[in-house]
Amino acid sequence: MSIAINIHQSFQHLANARSVVEVKGGNVGECLNDLIRQCPELKRWLFDKKNRLFHYVEIYVNQESSYPEELAMPVKDGDTLSMTLTLAGG
Amino acid sequence: MLTDGEQERYERQLLLREIGEEGQKKLKGASVFVAGAGGLGCSAALYLAAAGVGRMRLVDHDRVEPGNLNRQVLHWDEDIGRTKAASATAKLKRFNNRMDIEPVENILTTDNVSQLVAGFDVIVDALDNLPARYVLNRAALEQNIPLFHGAVYGFEGRATTIIPGETACLRCVCRDTIPGETFPVIGVTPAVIGCIQATEVIKYIAGCGRLLTNRLLIYDGLNMSFAEYRIKKDPHCDHCGDAKANG
Repeated sequence: MSIAINIHQSFQHLANARSVVEVKGGNVGECLNDLIRQCPELKRWLFDKKNRLFHYVEIYVNQESSYPEELAMPVKDGDTLSMTLTLAGG
Repeated sequence: MLTDGEQERYERQLLLREIGEEGQKKLKGASVFVAGAGGLGCSAALYLAAAGVGRMRLVDHDRVEPGNLNRQVLHWDEDIGRTKAASATAKLKRFNNRMDIEPVENILTTDNVSQLVAGFDVIVDALDNLPARYVLNRAALEQNIPLFHGAVYGFEGRATTIIPGETACLRCVCRDTIPGETFPVIGVTPAVIGCIQATEVIKYIAGCGRLLTNRLLIYDGLNMSFAEYRIKKDPHCDHCGDAKANG
C-alpha cells in the first residue's frame, strides 16, 4: 500500500510526465519529501529556501484541504493527495 | 410584478420550478456588484443580464487593448482604447435594456471599496490579481455581502461561494499566487468560470439549489474534468478569523 499524489499539470513534466506518483509517508510533509526524492526537480517549485511550502501550493488529502495543518497533516496508506495551485487571473 | 414583456422574455426560465415567477421577481429586484470587466466579468455579467437581474454596477479602471479580445467578449475591435466599464456597459444595455447598469471607471482600493459595494445584494469577484481580491474580500466580510469568487490560469479555473460569517473566506483559501505578471489564458476558461459564478448568483438570489460554499470547484479544460475540494474556515484567518484585528 502507498499514498497517491495527483500532480498538478503544470508540474507533470518534472515528474516524468506522470499525473500520479506513488509515495510513502505518515504525514503530508513526509509524502512530499518522498515525492521530491523521486522527482528532485519539483523541489524548487514546492518549497522555499527555508524548506517551507510555497503559499501558492495547495495540498488536499482525500479532497479535503490540508490547511492549516498542511505538512503536519497525518495520512495513511490508501489516501490520495492532490496538489493544486492558487490562481488569481480574471 | 413582471410585465408582459418580461413574461415573454424570461418564459423558459419561468418554467423552471426552482425559478418561476417568484424567483424572477427576486432577480428583477436584485442588485449585483461586478468587480472587473475582463474575461470573468464579461461572462458573468452577460449571463446575469440574460437572467434578468434588475441592477448592476460594473467596476473596472482598465482600457480595452487588442490582447484582451481573445477572452473579454463584451469588448470588440471598435472598443480599443475605450474604458472596459463603458464598453461592457454599452453592450449589456443593448443586450437587455431592462437592466439598470452603472459603469464605474475606477480602481478598487481600501479607501473606496466600502462605499462602492454598499447596499448591493451580492458581489462577483472577477478581478485579475490577489491584492485587489483581498480588498474586495474584506469589504464583503465587513458589509456581510456574499462574494462569488472565480479565477483562471491557462485551461484551468476555479470557483467558490463565500457567505460572510458562515463559510471559508477568500483569504482562508488563497494565500499567494504563482509567480509571473502576465497570466496565460484561453478565452473559453473564463467563459466557463464566469458562467459558474453567474449560476451561483442566480441560485443565491432565487433561493434554490446547493451553493458552492465551503467547496472549491476546479475546472481542468485540458482533461475536461471538474474536481471538488472541501475547504474550511481558518480560525486564525486575518480577514475573517481571530487574527483579523491585526490584519
